[in-house]
Amino acid sequence: MIPERIIQTSALTKHYGSFGAVDRLNLSVRAERITGFLGRNGAGKSTTIKMLLGMVHPTSGSGTVLGCRIDDRRESIEIRRRVAYVGEEKGLYGYMTVAELIRFTRSFYTDWQPDVEKRLLAEYRLPPGRKVKALSKGMRTKLALLLALARRPALLILDEPTEGLDPVSIEELLQTLVTAPAQGTSVFFSSHQLSEVERVADDILMIDRGSAVLDMSLEQIRENYRRICFGFSTAAPPMESLRGVEKVRCEGRQVTIVASSNSEAIAQMGRERGAVDVRVLPLTLREIFLETVEERNRQDQQRHREREDALV
Amino acid sequence: MLWYKSWREVRNVMLAGMGAMAAACVLIVWNEKTTRWNADPQMSYVAYVWKSVYNSIGRDLFAMLAIILGSGGLLQEKARGTSGFTLSLPVSRLRIVLTRAAMGYVGVLAIAAVPVAVVPLASRYVGESYPVGQCAGFFFLWAGAGAVFYGLTFLVAHRIESEPVAVLIAVPLLMLYGAVLKLPWLARLRMFDLFSILNGEQMPFFNEGQHRLVGPLPWLALGIMLAIGAAFGRAAARRMEPLDF
Repeated sequence: MIPERIIQTSALTKHYGSFGAVDRLNLSVRAERITGFLGRNGAGKSTTIKMLLGMVHPTSGSGTVLGCRIDDRRESIEIRRRVAYVGEEKGLYGYMTVAELIRFTRSFYTDWQPDVEKRLLAEYRLPPGRKVKALSKGMRTKLALLLALARRPALLILDEPTEGLDPVSIEELLQTLVTAPAQGTSVFFSSHQLSEVERVADDILMIDRGSAVLDMSLEQIRENYRRICFGFSTAAPPMESLRGVEKVRCEGRQVTIVASSNSEAIAQMGRERGAVDVRVLPLTLREIFLETVEERNRQDQQRHREREDALV
Repeated sequence: MLWYKSWREVRNVMLAGMGAMAAACVLIVWNEKTTRWNADPQMSYVAYVWKSVYNSIGRDLFAMLAIILGSGGLLQEKARGTSGFTLSLPVSRLRIVLTRAAMGYVGVLAIAAVPVAVVPLASRYVGESYPVGQCAGFFFLWAGAGAVFYGLTFLVAHRIESEPVAVLIAVPLLMLYGAVLKLPWLARLRMFDLFSILNGEQMPFFNEGQHRLVGPLPWLALGIMLAIGAAFGRAAARRMEPLDF
């Protein structure tokens, strides 16, 4: 039986020496949904995924995938039996041919679907007799996807799945992902292509510096996230911190607020403070992502500069 | 199917090694007249084969190939970028490492078995004879000592990511081991001198005058060597358990 929350972590932490890759991460991923896992390079996405699959051992905290504990060796094998995974590197055995690698992978899973294998082999135009090392990066990505999609896994975890794919293949993959939940497969995928995520994801999980900074359904994001711009005739007055205000930027007579909810009340506050121009605009996922990570990026750069100055 | 993967990983080295060993044995046998005449016309054919195959070229080639076969594994997969795929399979790390260890050792056995088939056959072709029983005896000696050569390199390869570095570390370690066992106060551990076990020299089961294995083989020592090789494999597997990939 598949639990309602297919992935759950509690204060999941991974440190490499003094560097904290994942920091007390709390995740809760719903079953039969497509969850987009977003974050900057080095935000901790791949480390989190590898911890879920038992490739990286957590420093502290706990987690479950499909109800199995990630830090238990036996349960971790059960997780890998029920999860299909395509890693960031797409590293496959170069010394095997495409057909040999398919045969090899098939032998580990009882849920293998030969008809899907045949269909994808034809769709992706993968030459069965060619050595994997002779395939282009895009073809290798397609082969890695075939190995994951030719099963009927309870959960599909993809780390940057569209990297190296041509537009047609990206489109085909996105179509495949969209239909997966209807067949009982939940999808958890990381990507830098926000437009792709926005097209297919039901839920969005954004992490930065190893911690979750956004965990919401795309529908909620679209409904609630707003950019509210106030124009004042004189210098902008200080803004009250209302519920839902994520970020406030003041530039002369202009005040821009990023709100995660409560946009009507925030707009009303602006009018009450004497704003002559009030605009409430929807935000795209890309804008939310940039707004969320931009400030932290600036802080990181500032800290880096300070460290370098201290060294000089 | 993990067996298949491990087989594919060792196949090239194993087949090339078997080919090289067979070629070396054939060349040694074919050139026996010229070489024997130049070296020592009184030397018997059995002594010539022992000196050339079991005491020089064949033995050195075997030791080198056993070390090379031991230099693969999960850490090398990490360096090649395929460890993510391997570790996403629903099998334990222990099984992955032990399967690779066992398959590599099969390669060691296969290379050790080459002279058993090639030397007697090639000897017949040049009108000489070399007893299969002698070759079989050396096969068991090589299998025992080879287990330690192979196992040690396998363990080193599971501590160091680079294949060439693992080989470069294993070779001096084994030479040091051989040198230590030459110390007089370790004389009673002579049965564990891998290099003497490989050629039988100065061993009670070897007749120096006839250059033949004569007594019963040191089965206990060979069994202990196998156990040491297996322990190295197990230690390599234990080393992999807590690692992050």
